[in-house]
Amino acid sequence: MIRSLLLNPTARPFTVMAGSIVVLALIDRGTGFFFSMGTIFSVMQLFATFGLVALGLGLSILIREFDLSVAGIVGLAGCIAVMTGAANPWLGLLLGVGAGLLSGLIQGIIMTKLHLSSVGVTLGGLLTLQGMTYVLTDNKTIGYPNISVALDLNAPIAGLVSVRSAACLAVFVLAALVMNYTHIGRDVIATGSDRRAARVAGLNTDHVVIGVFAASGAFSALGGVLLSYSLSAASPVALADVLATAAAAAIVGGVSVVGGRGSPMGIAAGVLTLCILRSGLSAIGVEPHVHDLVTGFILIAIAFLDAPELFRRVTSWRLAHAERDAAQTKLQ
Amino acid sequence: MSNVSLRSGFLLGGIRARQIVLAVRILAGGALAIFALSTPGFTSPLSINSLLNAISFIGCVAVGMTFITITGNIMSLALGATVSASALVFLASLSLGVFPAFLVAVLFGVVITAVQGAMVGYIRANPLLVSIAGLSLLIGGAALATGGQRIYPGGEGLQAFKGRVAGIPIEALYFFATVVIGQFVLSWTRIGREMVMVGSNLRAAIAAGIDTARTITVAYMLAGAFSAVAGILLAARYGSGDMELGLGYDYTAIAAVLVGGTAIQGGSGSVVRTLIGVTVIAIIATVLLLRGFSQQWQYLITGLIVLAVIMLHTIGERR
Repeated sequence: MIRSLLLNPTARPFTVMAGSIVVLALIDRGTGFFFSMGTIFSVMQLFATFGLVALGLGLSILIREFDLSVAGIVGLAGCIAVMTGAANPWLGLLLGVGAGLLSGLIQGIIMTKLHLSSVGVTLGGLLTLQGMTYVLTDNKTIGYPNISVALDLNAPIAGLVSVRSAACLAVFVLAALVMNYTHIGRDVIATGSDRRAARVAGLNTDHVVIGVFAASGAFSALGGVLLSYSLSAASPVALADVLATAAAAAIVGGVSVVGGRGSPMGIAAGVLTLCILRSGLSAIGVEPHVHDLVTGFILIAIAFLDAPELFRRVTSWRLAHAERDAAQTKLQ
Repeated sequence: MSNVSLRSGFLLGGIRARQIVLAVRILAGGALAIFALSTPGFTSPLSINSLLNAISFIGCVAVGMTFITITGNIMSLALGATVSASALVFLASLSLGVFPAFLVAVLFGVVITAVQGAMVGYIRANPLLVSIAGLSLLIGGAALATGGQRIYPGGEGLQAFKGRVAGIPIEALYFFATVVIGQFVLSWTRIGREMVMVGSNLRAAIAAGIDTARTITVAYMLAGAFSAVAGILLAARYGSGDMELGLGYDYTAIAAVLVGGTAIQGGSGSVVRTLIGVTVIAIIATVLLLRGFSQQWQYLITGLIVLAVIMLHTIGERR
C-alpha cells in the first residue's frame, strides 16, 4: 500500500504532501504554530510566488523539453508591468503577460522550425531576457507608485488565501480542466510520451511545442506581474532560486523527466509541499537552512525512486549475495 | 533533447549547409577580431589582464561542465554552489598549510560531485534533478557549518594563487593547466574516449562493454575537481568567502560550453572548444566595456550573441 502510494507517480505528489504535513504536525505537537491561519496564509503566499513558474516549467518538462527562460520572464514581465501599469494596472498586466507569451512563442518557433534543442535556445533566451530587464530598468529597482494595488492583491479572503494566491489557484484549476477534459491536454501528453508516434498519428507536434512554450511564458509572466505588484517594486536582479525551486516543485509534483507524465494538480501539490516545508519549518522555529537540507533529501529520495535502473541494481545485488551465501553453505 | 531523426532535410543539403556555417563562423571570428583590435585600449596590458582574469574563474567551471555535457547529462545546476563550498573548505583548512588545503578542497569538490555522478551513472537518476538536490544540500549544509558567516583564511599562503609569473596572472596559468589536463583526459585516455561514446549513444556504449556508470561518475568527479580549483582561485582573489562567491557560475559556464560548440545532447565537443567559448564571451564583454556600453547593455548584447551563436552551431551540426 505504502509502496504503491510512493511509487505510483500520480499518487506520489499527494502522498509526499500529506507526509510533510503529518511530520510537521507531529514535531509541532499541537502547540498551534503549525496549524494556524497565519501559517496557511503564508504557505499560500509562497505558493503564489513560485506556483505559476513551476506550472510553466512543468508543462515544458512534460513534453520532454526544459524551459530555462522562465526565470528571465518572471523578472522582465514584473518590470514591464510596474513601468507601464502605474495609471492602469490592467494595462501593465496585459503588457507583462503579453511579453511572456511573445517570448515563449518566439522561442518555440525557433526550436521547432530550426529543430534546435530547448536547453540551448532557452539558455540564450534567459540571458537575453535578463539583459532586456537590465536595459529597461537601467539597472535599478523600480518602485510601483500605485500602492493600493498591492494592498488589494494581498487582501485576505476568509483568512486563508489572498487575492493573489486565489488567482494562482484559479489558473491551476483552469489548466487542470484543459489538460483533463480537452483534446489539447491529450495532445500535450501524446507529444510528451512519444513525439514520433504522435506525429505519425497525425498530430502536428510542432504546434503543441510552440503552444506549450507560449503557455509556459504566459504563466511565468503572470506570476512575475502578480509578484511585482504585490511587492510594489520590480528589480532586474532576478530571484536567484526561482529556476531551481520551480524545477524541484514540478518534479516533486510528479512531472516525469522522461516525458508524458504529470498534471497541473500534481504540480500544485509539489509546489505546496515545498512551501509547506519552508513556512512550516520556520513556523515551528527551526533554523532556515534546515529547509534546504530537507528539500535536498526529498529530491534525492525522488531521484532514487524514479531512477530507471534502481530496481535492476538492487535485484542483481541481491542475486549476487544469494549466490555467495549459497556457495558458502556448500563449502561448509 | 530534440529528436535526432528530426535533423534531416532542411533548406539545403548537409554538406552545403555545413560549408555555409563554416564560412559564417570564420567571418564572425574575423569580425570579432577586427572589432576587438580596432577598439582603443583593447591591447593594453590592463585590459588583457582583466580579460585573462575573467576567463580564468569561469573557465575552470566551464571546463568541468564540458565533461558533464559531453557524457550526455546536459548540465549541472550545482557547480556554482560547489565552487563556493570548495572555497569555504579551502579557506577553513588553510591552517594545515597551503598545499594540504588545496588538496582538501579539491577532494571535497570531487566527493560532492562523485556522489551525484554515481547516482546518475549507476541507477540512471535524472541529472538535472540530482544537481538541484545537490544544490539544496550544499546551501543547507554550508549554512549549517558556517552559521551563515563569512569565512576568513585560517592561515597564510594565499599568495600562491594570486599575483603573476612572467607578467601572466597566476589564475590564468591554473586555468590553462586545467584546459591542458582536461583536453588530455578527453582525447588521450581510454576513459575520455569512453565519455564521448557514452554521450553519443548510451546503448551502443553498453553493448560495446563500456562500464558506463563508472565513466559518468569519473566525468562528474572531473567537473567537481575543476570547480574546486575555481573556488580556490576565487577565495585567494577575494581573501574571504561565502556561498555567494560562485553564484550564477553554472549558467555562465554552460553558455561558454555551448558557444564553444559542444553539443547539448552530448557525444561531441572538446575542452578546447570550451576555451574558445569562454574567450569569445570575455572578449565581447571587454570590447563592450571599452566602447563605453553600460553594464545593462553589455548583458543584453551578450545574451543576444550567445543565442545567435548557439543557433548557428546547432544548424551546422545537422546532417
